[in-house]
Amino acid sequence: MIEAEGVSKRYERGVYALRDLAIRIGKGEFAFLTGPSGAGKSTFLRLLLRQELPSEGRLTVAGRHLDRLTPAQVQTYRRGVGFVFQDFKLIPRKTVFENITLVPRVLGVSPVQQQRRTFQVLKWVGLQHRMNSYPLELSGGEQQRIAIARALVNEPMLILADEPTGNLDPDLSLEIMNLFREINAGGTTVLVATHDRELIRRVGRRAITLDHGRVVEV
Amino acid sequence: MRAITYFVREAFISLWRGRRSTTLSIVTIAAAVLVLGGFLLITSNLQRVIARWSESAELSVYLRDGISPEEQAAVDRLLADSALVTAREYVSKDDAVGRFREDFPDLAAAAAVLSDNPFPASIEVRLKAGDTSGEALEQLARRLARAPGVSDVRYDRQWIERAAGAIALVQWAGFVLAAILIVAAGLTVANVVRLALYARQDEIEIQQLVGAPLAYIRGPFVMEGILQGGAGAILAALLLHAGYVVAHARFARIASSAIDASLVQFLPASHVALLILGGMVVGCAGGLVAARSVR
Repeated sequence: MIEAEGVSKRYERGVYALRDLAIRIGKGEFAFLTGPSGAGKSTFLRLLLRQELPSEGRLTVAGRHLDRLTPAQVQTYRRGVGFVFQDFKLIPRKTVFENITLVPRVLGVSPVQQQRRTFQVLKWVGLQHRMNSYPLELSGGEQQRIAIARALVNEPMLILADEPTGNLDPDLSLEIMNLFREINAGGTTVLVATHDRELIRRVGRRAITLDHGRVVEV
Repeated sequence: MRAITYFVREAFISLWRGRRSTTLSIVTIAAAVLVLGGFLLITSNLQRVIARWSESAELSVYLRDGISPEEQAAVDRLLADSALVTAREYVSKDDAVGRFREDFPDLAAAAAVLSDNPFPASIEVRLKAGDTSGEALEQLARRLARAPGVSDVRYDRQWIERAAGAIALVQWAGFVLAAILIVAAGLTVANVVRLALYARQDEIEIQQLVGAPLAYIRGPFVMEGILQGGAGAILAALLLHAGYVVAHARFARIASSAIDASLVQFLPASHVALLILGGMVVGCAGGLVAARSVR
């Protein structure tokens, strides 16, 4: 699913965030990207979301060369990728339901389908009773479950999560990881960036360790 | 259609949320359109009046009191033979004093105390519409002035054309001023829309990340500009009409002695529609300028 060959990301004044990365993540795999702060985890996810381009090397996702995509192709590509962030990135002035429906709506899904899918994913994360609440009325764990529901609503081929448990306690973190495990069981590729070694140990999946922008352990 | 509904709804929500800056933007657009519409209203009415004066532009041939029938017939022949003349009317001394009393009722009593009628008889000549201010008209006027029995010849085409030129100049000055104001209004809309864009940065980021089409992300902001422009232009049209109604009620009677009151009209519906459309186009341009920052 994800193939990185000699991928480097260099910022101004020659500072490397990633250097000569070689990573392969198979279709339907659940993998962790770990390492200390500043290791390059978030940078790699930004490259995968096509928010940035690699300075060197080749990065492909599902056979697409991310550096060769036109703006219209970037939009198509992103429709197949779900994302979850540490800070949830929910829109505070919209209800839970509206936050999730936003995704199918902007992609032109019919209103009936938007509602059906939204309700399905809300039910799946167990928060259908909070659909009319606003994000700030929810706990951190609930907000992250809503963010996961939003990532899922378009049935993506790949889910990218950047420190999704960074603001949650260990029990809630495991709960969130169980959701990712369930998503992965349905065939979706999941890549979670986290610095929480203990969590990785408890989930028990492959971890790719980065340090100073280089892969140090696969 | 669903997208348009979404754009309109989102735009209205955003306009309401930023209602202070929205008001500023609408007032700026209204001021620009008001200036443009005001100039159009004034100059179009002046042009109508000038056109009517121009149509009825006359050559007045004043006759001496003792003009003989032969001399008068010769003058009449000169006029009848000229291609510039479309009609002519003999105004006797009595008719002339009658007209004076009608036009200036306050001075009618003064005219009555005079023992002799001081007003000369004349022939009022209607000239052909179009370019009759040239050499041919000058020549005709000279020949008439030299004719026996003619005391004076006056024609007003030249000053009417000068007035028309002055109006055209004023109209252009108005257009230039309005153009400057419209650019300023467009920039104001762009800045107000940009504020709305910053306020919804989180939503835009999510939309970009889920692969929303650019047109879908930018649409509500462009619609916001269109609605601001339209609202501003409608406000301007209403103010313009109110101003016209007030001015008409107040000055129509005073002006009626100099001009035909039926010539003074509000802008035709097509012009008003164009002004509103223009406001929407300016708003749309402002919205587009702001929305272009979303890539």
